[in-house]
Amino acid sequence: MILRYTFLRLLMLIPVSFSISVVIFMIVYLLPGDPIDNLLRVGSSPEDRAELVAQYGLDRNLVIQYFVWIGNMFQGEFGQAIVLRRPVADLVAQNLPYSLTLGGLAFLFSSTVGMTLGTISAVVRHPVLDRFMRGFILLGSTVPGFWLALLLILFFSVNLGWFPVSGAGGWTSLVLPVLTIGFGGVALVARVTRVALLDAQREDFVTLLHAKGLSSGTILFRHLMPHALLPVVTILALRIGWILGGAVTVEFVFGRPGLGSLLIRALGQRDYPVVQACLLMLALAVMLGTLIGDVAQASMDPRIREKKS
Amino acid sequence: MRYSTKTQILSGSAIVAAGLLFSGAAMAQNVSIAFSASELGATAYNPVAASTLNTATSLIYDRLVEQDADQSYHPHLATSWEETADGMAWTFSLLEGVTFHDDTPFNAAAVQSWIASYAGTENEYLVEAIGSVDVIDDLTVRFNMDRPEPNLLYNLASAFMGIPSPTAFAELGDNFGVTAAVGTGPYELQSFEIGLETVLVRNEDYTWGSDLSENTGPGHIETFTFREIPDQSTAFLELRTGGIDLLLGVPTDFLQILEAEANIQIIQMPGVGISYMPINVTAPPFDNILVRQATGMAIDQEGIVAAIYNGVGAPAHNFLISSLPEANVDPALNVTYNPARARELLEEAGWVMGNDGVRVMGDERLTVRLYTANTTELTRLTQVVQAQLGEIGMEAIITVFDSSTIRDEYRNNTHQLAVRSYDWNNSDILDWFFSGNRLGYPNVSMWQDEEGQRLNDIAMTESSTSAERIANFTAYHEYVLSQHLFVPIYQPTQNIAFNSDAITVPDPVRGSRFRGQSFMDIQIVE
Repeated sequence: MILRYTFLRLLMLIPVSFSISVVIFMIVYLLPGDPIDNLLRVGSSPEDRAELVAQYGLDRNLVIQYFVWIGNMFQGEFGQAIVLRRPVADLVAQNLPYSLTLGGLAFLFSSTVGMTLGTISAVVRHPVLDRFMRGFILLGSTVPGFWLALLLILFFSVNLGWFPVSGAGGWTSLVLPVLTIGFGGVALVARVTRVALLDAQREDFVTLLHAKGLSSGTILFRHLMPHALLPVVTILALRIGWILGGAVTVEFVFGRPGLGSLLIRALGQRDYPVVQACLLMLALAVMLGTLIGDVAQASMDPRIREKKS
Repeated sequence: MRYSTKTQILSGSAIVAAGLLFSGAAMAQNVSIAFSASELGATAYNPVAASTLNTATSLIYDRLVEQDADQSYHPHLATSWEETADGMAWTFSLLEGVTFHDDTPFNAAAVQSWIASYAGTENEYLVEAIGSVDVIDDLTVRFNMDRPEPNLLYNLASAFMGIPSPTAFAELGDNFGVTAAVGTGPYELQSFEIGLETVLVRNEDYTWGSDLSENTGPGHIETFTFREIPDQSTAFLELRTGGIDLLLGVPTDFLQILEAEANIQIIQMPGVGISYMPINVTAPPFDNILVRQATGMAIDQEGIVAAIYNGVGAPAHNFLISSLPEANVDPALNVTYNPARARELLEEAGWVMGNDGVRVMGDERLTVRLYTANTTELTRLTQVVQAQLGEIGMEAIITVFDSSTIRDEYRNNTHQLAVRSYDWNNSDILDWFFSGNRLGYPNVSMWQDEEGQRLNDIAMTESSTSAERIANFTAYHEYVLSQHLFVPIYQPTQNIAFNSDAITVPDPVRGSRFRGQSFMDIQIVE
């Protein structure tokens, strides 16, 4: 049953991927600026420009350009960066591991710490703790990553000297970026976990479980948690893509390489092939995250797979 | 006893570990440097074809000649040179025993092949006046000129005229400077991660440094790690915390804070650029020269230096840096602050003061578009300019663009005023920004003028001697100033900061910029 559901979800990804690929392909043509202008020598003639445009295939019909591009993408051919003058695949391969490491660790941090704090906040009904948690969640949801990054650098790097200010050398350089990206996620996951657990506690079956004499711990971990995990899994799955793409400002402040900083750099130089490849990777990450979330939800709740399949 | 043994083992291990650490530090001899903001974004170490190069390039490649801070020229790979009386030929004697990093020899044939490689590149203008290169013997070349070029030595001292290995250049093609970069310089390219860092390792065979360095080679430092840190605040904090040893291009804002740090020393060098406001002469109301003149008189350069830059740097009153002889124009032509006269000029042009402090002509308000690029320094300067224009009744609406989009806006001629800056220490920058052949960008003023082009052509191509070139460029500069095409604002200094607990840096710095020659004399503090 779950295999059939997964298969159907994968099928649905085909039209979604097609639509996204069209949007990504078109979006760079809607941007102001032209990479050819960056390559042309100042004072070049219109003929020089036409020659360069033809060299990069930008003189062909847009539809043809799209199908050539998508065909190449299917074969893993990302093409040559126009301004950075390297194979785009090399640039992505150089930057992706940094993004995956940072994103993966931030994801792990925000999910474990967020769920733990959310659970504590739902179970320990102390007004002071409750207020603290509400404050923390509000702070985590609203503090801009850029500002938090600078605060963390000032405290942990400048005052305490524990971690390097920037760079991508060794595990110590990962701590502050992971905390920066993870902080917002912790607050979000904690909030969702807390609400889900509080809702679950109000269900009738919980009263029954208490009446049967089960301990609070057993009720929480064996019965309430699986129940409350559904929305948490959804949120976490959606954050997979967000964490990869949302690291842009953090990569900038910490001077780290990654897909986000590559994307920003390529956008600034209007390097279409690089922008397209980065956007495609980020879109794939979001789609993959959503798929994982859906499948995980379906595997936990038979009602979903029955309704949706 | 057991406790004592354990303690001894632990202590011994600690000593060994500490010893290893210290010996490692001594062996590593690495100096970390952060590029200045203006140097970020180099995509290749290819002096022939690249449009952007950074300081590391000057350590990979040597040049035929070097330029000192006083604008004098010094021998390097060329030991001497001779120009014929008519300026139509230059003969260079080359240094013997020089080899490229790939062990191929540097000789006259390498110079001939190198000059030819500029054909069709962005940097071709540097060798435009050279008609052909003759190999006289293995260590002598002659440049046969199409026309006299008094600027030839300046061009040869440029970072864009580092000499690559002809063998590697031919073999690597478009990948030259990307996958490998081979020159004769004191350091070899070990790794280049675009947008992240460049690691250079010492060329142990190097013994041919120029007389701008005390140490002629090999370099004192084993490796230099150049890092690209996009956020200036982060780069500044890296220096404070010892993450880097040297910061090229310290923003003026950070100078006061750094000066308070005991272990940070700052070197200030004369600037090589100007911040200015080009005026689009094709966009009304700036098609009226009176309005352009009034706009120039509204800007208080001295006030800006004091208020924004804490007195560091100097006000700019014409288009060239003050160390260039062509900057010595007729003082009456310099652009100076005179708000009262600016108001009079606007009245003369028909713009009368409206009720809300903005001038009007009939139903039309004196509201103009003011563009700038999205850097903190330019944005802040633009806001002050906006306020000063407001003082004479001109309402400026600021739009901030990224560097790529703003060039498109210039090309599309949507701008009226813009605040921008340039870095170049030669008067031929006038040709770059005001030649009628480059309207839109870089000729942001959109100025096309017969007399202007005539003076430009004379200055660029008809000067036979250095003195003649200075006179011709001064005349062109004066004409440009008389047309009120821009408002000069500020001459920044070049600020370099280093951790004096970690390294020593030559003082005074030789050369017009802090580059290869200064790195040769950097040493680790014992």
